[in-house]
Amino acid sequence: MRYLVLLVVLPLLGAFLQPIVSRISAGLGRGFGPLILIVMAWIGIQAWDGTAQPVALDIGGFRPPFGIVFYIDHLALLFALSVSIGALLLWPRGRRPDAVREYTLTLVLVAAASGLAISGDLFNLYVFYELTSVAAYGLIAAQRTGACFAASIRYVIVSSIGAVLALLGVALIYLQAGSLNLAQLAQLAPERLTGPVGLAAFVFLLIGFGVKAELFPVNTWVPEVYATASRRVSALLAGVISKLALLIVVRLLILVYHQEQAQMIMLTLGILGIVTGELAAWRARDLTRMLAYSSIGQLGMIFVAFSIPGKAGVLAGLAVALHHLVVKPALFLLAEQWGGSLERLKGVARQAPWAAVLFIVLALSMIGVPPLPGFWAKLLVMVHLMEQAHPLYYLGMAAIMLAAVVEASYLFRLITRFYEPRPEARTVPTHHLQDLGTASLLGAALVVAAFYMGPLGDSLDEIAATAADTASYIRIVAPEPSPDLE
Amino acid sequence: MGAVELGSIACAGALGLVVVGLFGMVMSPHLIRIILSLAVLEAGANLFMVMVGYRPGGVAPIIVDGTIPAAMVDPIPQALVLTAIVIGVGVQAFAIALAMRLRRAYGTQDVREIRRRMEQDISRETGVPLPSSEDEPEVQHPRNLAVWTRRR
Repeated sequence: MRYLVLLVVLPLLGAFLQPIVSRISAGLGRGFGPLILIVMAWIGIQAWDGTAQPVALDIGGFRPPFGIVFYIDHLALLFALSVSIGALLLWPRGRRPDAVREYTLTLVLVAAASGLAISGDLFNLYVFYELTSVAAYGLIAAQRTGACFAASIRYVIVSSIGAVLALLGVALIYLQAGSLNLAQLAQLAPERLTGPVGLAAFVFLLIGFGVKAELFPVNTWVPEVYATASRRVSALLAGVISKLALLIVVRLLILVYHQEQAQMIMLTLGILGIVTGELAAWRARDLTRMLAYSSIGQLGMIFVAFSIPGKAGVLAGLAVALHHLVVKPALFLLAEQWGGSLERLKGVARQAPWAAVLFIVLALSMIGVPPLPGFWAKLLVMVHLMEQAHPLYYLGMAAIMLAAVVEASYLFRLITRFYEPRPEARTVPTHHLQDLGTASLLGAALVVAAFYMGPLGDSLDEIAATAADTASYIRIVAPEPSPDLE
Repeated sequence: MGAVELGSIACAGALGLVVVGLFGMVMSPHLIRIILSLAVLEAGANLFMVMVGYRPGGVAPIIVDGTIPAAMVDPIPQALVLTAIVIGVGVQAFAIALAMRLRRAYGTQDVREIRRRMEQDISRETGVPLPSSEDEPEVQHPRNLAVWTRRR
């Protein structure tokens, strides 16, 4: 299982080699990144059966409390896989000679995001988080327009404040517990981290890591970044990277912070995210920003789902997160040519019937119309919210219901516009084949998933059960200094 | 007595730096000042991290000639801070590079002006007019007017 380190090492090495390979041969350079991502995905799929029982890797052979540990269960592997496959589908398009910088940055982003999925050490997570951020700044600015630089610098400002807050949170946790290994923290948490200082550390970490997960007060960057960056980068950030940031918070919540206050803080911020995001999306007048705001709302719902204690929360959150992971990138890819004012999309269905149908299927799933997976994901969240006793959870239910109505309102308004008579002499550019193909692939995955809801639900249940098992996490990482096992 | 007080003074100073840095980042309109505030903010966080590992009267945890010092500072936060400093420098350098690019693109370092230009650019690209209020006065805001006249 030691080869699983390659999930981080391989793309990082690839990022360093990319400029050299591209210099040797431009054609080889174009294929180099996708090749690495395919190998990564293959490694991940190979390891799937072997990690039914989670594995812990001690980096450099140092035992956990002293060394850094990678912890790989199905949850981590699933997200690492989604990073490599997501980046493969959303690989930067175009044959410009300077595209090699985007290739390199994407590989760095992939390495850091895989690290976020599998690392079991809080400071290591912080480092990977910063690495993800820096790669994202560069990718956003890669369009080289003024608006792009402006959006990027505003994102740098928000994200840096978040990162410093996260660092303070890490310092506070170290002050209280004297360790940053998640397994050891899980052991020490009941006696050392339940007080106000421990909770303050959680809030700092939540806000800090929440920047990338589009958490309510720190998501000001979302609409402008998604409006100015290339759609593929937006799709990658909104669809995949936001989930990885969320995964850190989920791990903290499961392993370290079981107390109700932590869940309530996350629930409240999630509800605020749903309300503000969906209302802003309803008011948005261009497609990209509508998708950006709706992504804030959707991530708010994921936060609400993960705030449910225990296995139920992990299961519900995982379902909505995976659904969003498939739907949102596909919608962003369709927005590549349809971006801009919603008025432009009048009568677009006659010109591009397939794209319109695809958009409708994705939109219906996002609203939660029954046979599609989006419905089952939302249902799961609602069912588990209903089981909770605290009244704030009912507010969460109300917010999700209301959000569905608002989503239906603005998406149906848009869909009717597709089928209105087209004004004369105005055409919308047709989709690039690669964008449409990728979006179709994601849409097809969604429709096929609708037929296999039973087995999919079972395997998600299994993943959630393993992930929520704190005792087994501690046992497998075994942070006590113990005699050498080799 | 000195050692304990030194610790608490440094801790208070660190948190003070964090507050000053946050204030500067949120309140100042000039891009370079924001980046400088970020440096102050990071310095505060890093100092706090070092203080977490501080022990009164502690020395560096190095064993010389087999004698173990009575009190040693915790080396882990120092190692972490080293990493955090490097990351911070990288981010600041990147931010400065972006600020230079922006200066070239928009000819300003004022974040309010940068935001206005960005909104204009997005509005032009998407074909959606900028949101405006019915209550907005007809006359241009004095600050915008100043910017406007300067550019003419």
